[in-house]
Amino acid sequence: MTDALLDAVETEASTNVASIEGKSPKQLAWMRFRRDRFAMVAAGVIAFYIICAAFAPLICKVLGISPYELDGDALNDFGLPKGSFGGISSEHWLGVEPGTGRDILARLLYGARVSLLVGFVGTILTTTIGVIIGVFAGYRRGRVDAVIGRIMDLTLAFPSFLLIIALTRPFTQRLESLGVPEGNPARLTYIVLVLATFGWVYVARVVRGQTLSLREREFVEAARASGAGTGHIIFKQLLPNLWAPVIVIVSLSLPAYVATESTLSFLGLGMLPPAASWGVMLGDSVKYYRADPTYLFIPGTALIILVLAFNILGDAVRDALDPKADRQSLS
Amino acid sequence: MLLFITRRLLFALMLLLAVSLFTYLLFSILPADPAALTCGKNCKPEIIAANRVRLGYDKPILEQYWNFLKGIFVGRDYGTGAAAFSCPAPSLGYSFSQHECVTTLIARTFPVTAYLSIGALIMWMSLGVGLGSIAALKKGKWQDKAATTFSAIGVSLPTFYIGLLVLFSFCIWLRILPFPKYESPFVNPGAFFTTMILPWSTLAVLSAASYTRLTRNGMLEAMNEDFVRLGIAKGLQRRTILRKYVLRSALVPIVTIAGLDFAALLGGAIITESVFSLPGMGRMSIRAVVESDLPVLVGTTMVAAVFIVLANVIVDILYGVLDPRVRAK
Amino acid sequence: MTKRRIIGAVSFALVASVLAAACGGGSDSSGGDGTPKKGGTIRILTSGEQIAHLDPQRNYTGTDLAFAGSTMHRSLTSYKYEAGDAGSEIAGDLATDTGTASNEGKTWAFTLRDGITFEDGSAITCADVSYGVSRSFATDVITDGPTYAISYIDVEDYPGPYKATAEQQTAYDKAVVCDGNTITFNLKNPVADFNYTTTMLTFSPVPKAKDNGEGYDMNPVSSGPYKIESYEVGKALTLVRNENWNAESDDLRKAYADSIVYEFGLEEATMDERMIADAGDDQFAVSEGIQPENLQTIFEGDEAVKARAIDYYDPFVSYTNLNNETLSCYEVRKAIYLALDREALRKASGGPYTGDFADGFVKPALALDYAKATLPEGLNEDGSANVEAAQAAADEAKTKCPDVAARAASGLNFYYPDTPIWQKALAIWQDNLGAIGFKIKPEAVEPSQYWPTVMNPETEYDIARGGWAPDWANASTVIPELFTTGGGFNLTRNSKDADYAEFESLVNAARTNLDRTAQGKQWQELNQYVVDRLWALPGTFLKAQSIWGSKVGNTFQWGPFGAFCFGNLYVK
Repeated sequence: MTDALLDAVETEASTNVASIEGKSPKQLAWMRFRRDRFAMVAAGVIAFYIICAAFAPLICKVLGISPYELDGDALNDFGLPKGSFGGISSEHWLGVEPGTGRDILARLLYGARVSLLVGFVGTILTTTIGVIIGVFAGYRRGRVDAVIGRIMDLTLAFPSFLLIIALTRPFTQRLESLGVPEGNPARLTYIVLVLATFGWVYVARVVRGQTLSLREREFVEAARASGAGTGHIIFKQLLPNLWAPVIVIVSLSLPAYVATESTLSFLGLGMLPPAASWGVMLGDSVKYYRADPTYLFIPGTALIILVLAFNILGDAVRDALDPKADRQSLS
Repeated sequence: MLLFITRRLLFALMLLLAVSLFTYLLFSILPADPAALTCGKNCKPEIIAANRVRLGYDKPILEQYWNFLKGIFVGRDYGTGAAAFSCPAPSLGYSFSQHECVTTLIARTFPVTAYLSIGALIMWMSLGVGLGSIAALKKGKWQDKAATTFSAIGVSLPTFYIGLLVLFSFCIWLRILPFPKYESPFVNPGAFFTTMILPWSTLAVLSAASYTRLTRNGMLEAMNEDFVRLGIAKGLQRRTILRKYVLRSALVPIVTIAGLDFAALLGGAIITESVFSLPGMGRMSIRAVVESDLPVLVGTTMVAAVFIVLANVIVDILYGVLDPRVRAK
Repeated sequence: MTKRRIIGAVSFALVASVLAAACGGGSDSSGGDGTPKKGGTIRILTSGEQIAHLDPQRNYTGTDLAFAGSTMHRSLTSYKYEAGDAGSEIAGDLATDTGTASNEGKTWAFTLRDGITFEDGSAITCADVSYGVSRSFATDVITDGPTYAISYIDVEDYPGPYKATAEQQTAYDKAVVCDGNTITFNLKNPVADFNYTTTMLTFSPVPKAKDNGEGYDMNPVSSGPYKIESYEVGKALTLVRNENWNAESDDLRKAYADSIVYEFGLEEATMDERMIADAGDDQFAVSEGIQPENLQTIFEGDEAVKARAIDYYDPFVSYTNLNNETLSCYEVRKAIYLALDREALRKASGGPYTGDFADGFVKPALALDYAKATLPEGLNEDGSANVEAAQAAADEAKTKCPDVAARAASGLNFYYPDTPIWQKALAIWQDNLGAIGFKIKPEAVEPSQYWPTVMNPETEYDIARGGWAPDWANASTVIPELFTTGGGFNLTRNSKDADYAEFESLVNAARTNLDRTAQGKQWQELNQYVVDRLWALPGTFLKAQSIWGSKVGNTFQWGPFGAFCFGNLYVK
């Protein structure tokens, strides 16, 4: 089959592909990415969140609010915010927290730090471990793969969520006795470590599967035939082709880790007061569905926006990096 | 092929043994003193010490584990004299807070979890694969964006939040459905459905995201494959190509993950069951965590592990069926 | 009784006699809703997974005692099934009257009525009552129950009927004697109000043939107007009429409803919602309490909803135990007490609906035993902290007891249950004590482990919370339990205090005083005795709230238990 015939089958060809200028794949990817307006908005939103989180103390100082300051005056006798919409006022732009009177905007900003930290660190850790092990296992096959496979099976066999909950207190105490600062640093460390312990397998398994399929491909055989070593094959041939599923996983895991942290907080195992995290706020807010519905929707909306942004970004990056993305054979 | 299956099954058995040992050891390092929890307010140290002996917590951990294993095959006896009783094989222990053999408890709560999982599986697969296919076929158009956005919302929020929002929306704000009150489908199918539709939808919305993505991306990948273009060039019908080549190839990662997710659900959808007051295994295990009811914890962990391991075996076999290249090596 | 559920914000409830009649905004606590009629199904909503113990000898929480006692388990004596003060009076239940004391209160005899039967129709005999009581001695199997029988009855080393040798059983049968229809208890020491002790279900009959020990909790045999039809943990307990219950033999129970269903495992957020909505079956329901977040909606919202709710006093008192061995210096204890912002602490747990500031450990509801106590000088009535007075006391301590003062400055071990409310309270404690130079070393304890942890004599706490309710309407179940070495719940470690010997002899004198009014005065003095020395810090006289469906009648809060009189609820 000649190239001409293949071209005739394609219903659309992008200008980039037809162009003769020979831009590098990276430049091509970037150009494609920039064309996607949704992606640019998403990237902007994420950047905004990160900036807000990083500069939370400064922002709070400028606005004159604090996540820890109790404001009993903003509450009525029942401990519920005075006024409508959860106590939104010029002093408290997003209202106050029932029971304590703490400013919600400030807690949202500080909470972003915790949630994003858990999300990023957890994701990076998990994905790195998972990809490396997955590719290694998928490529090497034989005994290496078998051993790794058994370890993965063993880890996967445990009902992870149950164990995470059951082991929070004792393991946090162990960490503290090992020298991790008591309280929230220990809890954060526990959450990230335990998520990575169970999470890498998910990544590795998918990556291994893809690698198994990929390694039978002609370009890999060709590389092997021309004498390329394992390292070269893994890094130059396999990994570049694994971007797509990995990015899908990354864009889904980060919000998933944030969600797990919030579930743990809902169960009382997350961040300790007075620290703010979106998880703590979410878990607390559900009680007030009737008495203070505004409080119910604020952290949830913040989280939805973050996650949507990540998903759109993930999709867009994947589409941009995939050199065959412009071909639409069947639509 | 047979050799392949047999080897996998044998390995699964060994895996379960390893899991059981690991679980026992893991829980043995919990600082909670299980003996202290068998008595409530009037817990004088002498009573705790007596209970520790009575329940066998004073024995070395490996001996406790051995008794546990033995119990699975021959049953286990408790108490002495006129107050003696036993849990028949397969015995996973006895819960002193629920006054029942763990096996009985699991047998009673498991059907609820099973109904929840199966219904959820059907809903999320339909939703996920359906939306994903639409997204893939209408790539770039508004249907694609809408489908992916909808599914993205699902995965972003934690289970309890979505569950409670669903509960509030349908039962309180809109008053469309009555409050969930679980009844067995054989006793009261109407109540069963009005109760289960809420957690099923919650789980479906939550899980659909991954499957929408994976289906979409998998189908797009497959559509770009050479063998597909070959098929087009050969003049095959679009539908045939979709069905025989694209979907089949895209199903590979989906099957893997669906199998694992389903098995994980069978181990107990903890949060969902709590929010919707379903008397399933998940809610029982969270109660066991709070009360440090070790026999129940170990029992539910083991049962959950069995499902996960079984699912892995089945998925591996399916992998072999779907992708002959894997089998060949 | 202690507060069994620390995790939830719900407390079990007791109504103050005065308030029951007055409050409830027009609700019909005891009479205004017309004549009760038979029929229908009453529902009880709870977030619990099961009833902790249906085994009569293991039952020990207020709500469970009220429920089981009014439906399934009759005892020798019982409280009257009436609202207000009358509900705290006792009457004969299985016994013809409230018993006869002799031998200066060391011997008590009760005569059983005629026509009392179990659910299978067999007659309840003296032997069945004796057997039931003997079960409570088998503390390795029959766990969690009150241990009054063990501490009062004159028999040593009796291990219970499952393990007893023939000799041991004989010894028991000498202490608890059956003579035809009369059961006689021989006690170690005089107990003036033993007929109040017998209201507890420890004295409920159990047929030996049907006793399956550990598992009896799931299938107890009923002696009351209802019996178990089905019991599914996590789902529901269904009671139906016991056809073999003789109404003529029972003055107290009315059994209007045809069946009672206890619904388990409900999500807390939805319970309040269902009760507010009052739709369908929920019109025939009562719930275990109201979440603090919804108090405003219920008590300051729709009048119709408010009419179905009530705010009243719990049987419970919350307080703070101090370790009197490590904090052996009165000035330090006083400094801690004066430095506390009790108002802030109360707000952190929900505000005024939580309760009133306590002036001791005996609640006004125990009318005979309560008198307003004099609190340490400097303590502010409005609950705010008095930092100057506290600092003055702290400074005094530095000269009087430098070791203790130094300990307070370096760090006091503060043991608390790891719950959101307590985490907020901890922050307040740290802030308050920090103002006078004392430091706190927080020790968070897993809530379900809290009581076993602090009750362990090896645990080194300086400060630990406490909560208690009298087991029956006599401070004899409060002061001795909390402050003597023999007491079941003494976390003050005050045995080495210089005044302890005197205190103990005063307590023993009060215990054996058969003149109830005089005894009451003694309890008042003893309460003041403890407050004067601040062996523990008085906290809050707790309150609770309840709500019921629009078609439920007889919804008064039952004095001794702080719960509904479940067995006498009826469908309107």
